[in-house]
Amino acid sequence: MLDELCQEIKLKFPASQAVLHNPPENVGSPSIEIEAKSLREVALYLRDDCKYKFSVLQVISGVDYLEYFEVCYMLANFDLARSYEFILKVKVSDRVNPVLDSVADIWPAANWQERECFDMLGIEFKGHPDLRRILCPEDWQGFPLRKDYVAAKYYNGMQVYPDHKMNLEERSFIINSKSKQEELQKQSLAKGL
Amino acid sequence: MQDGVVLTKVDEFLSWGRKNSLWPMTFGLACCAIEMMATGANKYDLERFGCGAFMATPRRADLMIVAGTVTLKMATRVRTLWEQMAEPKYVISMGSCANKGGPYWQHGYHVLKGVDEVVPVDVYVPGCPPRPEALIEGIMTLQKKIASERLLRKKWIKHVG
Repeated sequence: MLDELCQEIKLKFPASQAVLHNPPENVGSPSIEIEAKSLREVALYLRDDCKYKFSVLQVISGVDYLEYFEVCYMLANFDLARSYEFILKVKVSDRVNPVLDSVADIWPAANWQERECFDMLGIEFKGHPDLRRILCPEDWQGFPLRKDYVAAKYYNGMQVYPDHKMNLEERSFIINSKSKQEELQKQSLAKGL
Repeated sequence: MQDGVVLTKVDEFLSWGRKNSLWPMTFGLACCAIEMMATGANKYDLERFGCGAFMATPRRADLMIVAGTVTLKMATRVRTLWEQMAEPKYVISMGSCANKGGPYWQHGYHVLKGVDEVVPVDVYVPGCPPRPEALIEGIMTLQKKIASERLLRKKWIKHVG
């Protein structure tokens, strides 16, 4: 079903460069990846014109892959005869000023989901009616789910990691635990030999 | 004559009355609040300790049970609620999160490491979440504290002895 759909998208919108990703060894779900600039027309096509009519947007999730961001739209239709769902993926390659078109007017469910994505990863959704933070406080600095996020020391005069409560020895143990594990492995290997 | 007379100290009588009419605030933050509700319901029946009248406003309450994770966003609200309560007021920190950050202690960029950073805490109840029996023990500990207070001293001292 997804092969067919991917071909259709490619025929209708050559600029979208739709690619079907099948998971290796059937772990995970198959997905279709498209270019960011043709997101809106593909979304409208998927909702209204295509054979399956994906009328439901279940969730939007953003992923930070260090070099780029990826936004996943999990779409579904709940036809009585046969229901389908699949993942539409869009790559956002600009990591400094990530911008993507909003689909909040196509699927109203996208409104809060896009706000969450903006809150956690800082992806700006162009055309969103009300793009504010949804979970973090309004005066929060930074985007917590980015891989390079560094936790703030203070927030509103409250110490986030109070020194008198932190077990510093344990923290250093956790940081060094990888090298310690390697050491232990080497020792056990030496004993075995 | 003998049957109709009870002898006690005024101090102790006042404390006895206060400790048996603690009014907690209707205030829950996370899963600990579910246990708090269970404690208030008929099986564990907080009313036995005179502690079951959950007040819907901080101004009528004198016990705040901080039940759940205190995020940094919520911490300022917790402080405001505590300030709105009338003296004498008491705080029970319920569960690991409110005690010291709980599972968010190491990497919780958004969680306050213990509610005692913003409000003074009288009793800590450990557990994740604590069973209703644990919360009841916490409340009984607080009652013992209140019973030892001396209201009629010139300078009122909280928790003597």
